[in-house]
Amino acid sequence: MPIAPKPHSALLIVGHGSTGNPDSSAPCFEHADAIRRRGLFAEVHCCFWKEEPSMREAFYMIDSAEVYVVPDFISEGYFTQDVIPRELQLTGPTTIIRGKTFHYCLPVGSHPSMTRLILRRAREVAPDADPAQTTLIITGHGTNLNPNSAQAIRDQVSRIAASGAGYAAVLDAYMEEPPFIAGWDLMAPTTQVIVVPFFIADGLHSYQDIPVLLGIEKETGAAASQRDIFRHNPHHLRDKLLYYSSAIGTERLLADVILDQVADFDRMHKSALT
Amino acid sequence: MPIASELRNLLRSGVHRMGELEFQTNVSNHFCIVTHWQDAGRVNVPGFGGLARHDGPSAARDLACRTEDGQYRFNKGQTNLQRGWMMVLENEEDLRQALDLFYPAGVGVFLAHRNDTLEVENLRDKLQRQSGMYRLAGKISDAGAQQLVRKICGPDHACARRILWQIDAHTPLDDSAASRFSGIPAPLAENEAIPLLCREACNFFVEECRKAAQEEMQDQTS
Ligand code: SF4
Repeated sequence: MPIAPKPHSALLIVGHGSTGNPDSSAPCFEHADAIRRRGLFAEVHCCFWKEEPSMREAFYMIDSAEVYVVPDFISEGYFTQDVIPRELQLTGPTTIIRGKTFHYCLPVGSHPSMTRLILRRAREVAPDADPAQTTLIITGHGTNLNPNSAQAIRDQVSRIAASGAGYAAVLDAYMEEPPFIAGWDLMAPTTQVIVVPFFIADGLHSYQDIPVLLGIEKETGAAASQRDIFRHNPHHLRDKLLYYSSAIGTERLLADVILDQVADFDRMHKSALT
Repeated sequence: MPIASELRNLLRSGVHRMGELEFQTNVSNHFCIVTHWQDAGRVNVPGFGGLARHDGPSAARDLACRTEDGQYRFNKGQTNLQRGWMMVLENEEDLRQALDLFYPAGVGVFLAHRNDTLEVENLRDKLQRQSGMYRLAGKISDAGAQQLVRKICGPDHACARRILWQIDAHTPLDDSAASRFSGIPAPLAENEAIPLLCREACNFFVEECRKAAQEEMQDQTS
């Protein structure tokens, strides 16, 4: 749903960032640029946990008295529930800090409109694949550290299955917990298979680890050629036709999901304030 | 006053440098041309002396992201900004956006410091808030941390920032070239540059604290 312009508010997108890989924060900057071009906010900024500017420095970049904070994270968890509130000194959905009002939105990955992005990504990566003859697998890390990230994937699987998109099967699979993505060919009932990584950015998992688990690459390391890995679809592997997409967080339309989270915040919290 | 307006006033008052960036406001009708300070003279040479021209601020992230030989610059205070480009900006808002990509939050932090509203974060507070394997960084001794400042901060070690923090509220940094550095590159006067300020130890410093703490623990057990 389009959001009303907020010419007196700032948007602050919070990402994880990385000290080793600039691709980790690249989508954040791209989404910020896309939203800035639409002129909906007075200002749009990014800040990070492992990159500059830090969340605490970000406060000083902002002129506006009202700030919407949207975590560019795949699910609720340690970062969105502990680290970001602590770093930005947020105590609830709305917090006033040194004269500025901060609204804390939910992370992008938990928004229902992510379903639309996954379906779009699947169509882009395999434009000629008939859904009725295709299995769609959404894959993530899956660890006990953050059970919410696997739950976010399971939610998407249920939504897509119920969406009428018509895939022969829609499945979840993980790097480090069952059902394991390494067994993609055994779990897929069809010959054509699309795998979409449910990550916020491309990085070692989507460039290297998952391609090895899928069998596209022989071993991690120099063999995986970064973004090239996504350009050689389809892969003829294990008697199947495999289409592998880049991380869902790099999808251009994620900028819309960021805006959806702002709109949802207003719907859920702002009416109570006014 | 909005940050962009403050920035315009700073340029008018004669500020022409921030970190490794040089600002030129007297070229054609452009609001500002930004280059690496060592490339500033090439702007006035026909064909811009071979500098690659970028209009608007959006190329700043890519330019700031990697060194000339392709290394990732996650610490933007490092004095290894690539050369060979010029950025043509037509208003103060675009300059603000470019500077927030070259030196994230640098202008805002400077303005807050000037207005006495900057909350500086001492090292112990920063280390206490680390997660995962970086929690160990908090175990570093005061002496170890003081040593690290001398070893990795300041222009002698390719960092252009002036350190504002202490070890904790009662423990200032030992006197050293790094702790004395003003954030303004020599030989410029204070009113010619926006100083780069370090309000909290960077992630590189935190990583080095972790390694040093580990070594200290090993030394104690051996
Ligand atoms: S902690 Fe030291 S090396 Fe890191 S940005 Fe600050 S002054 Fe530079």
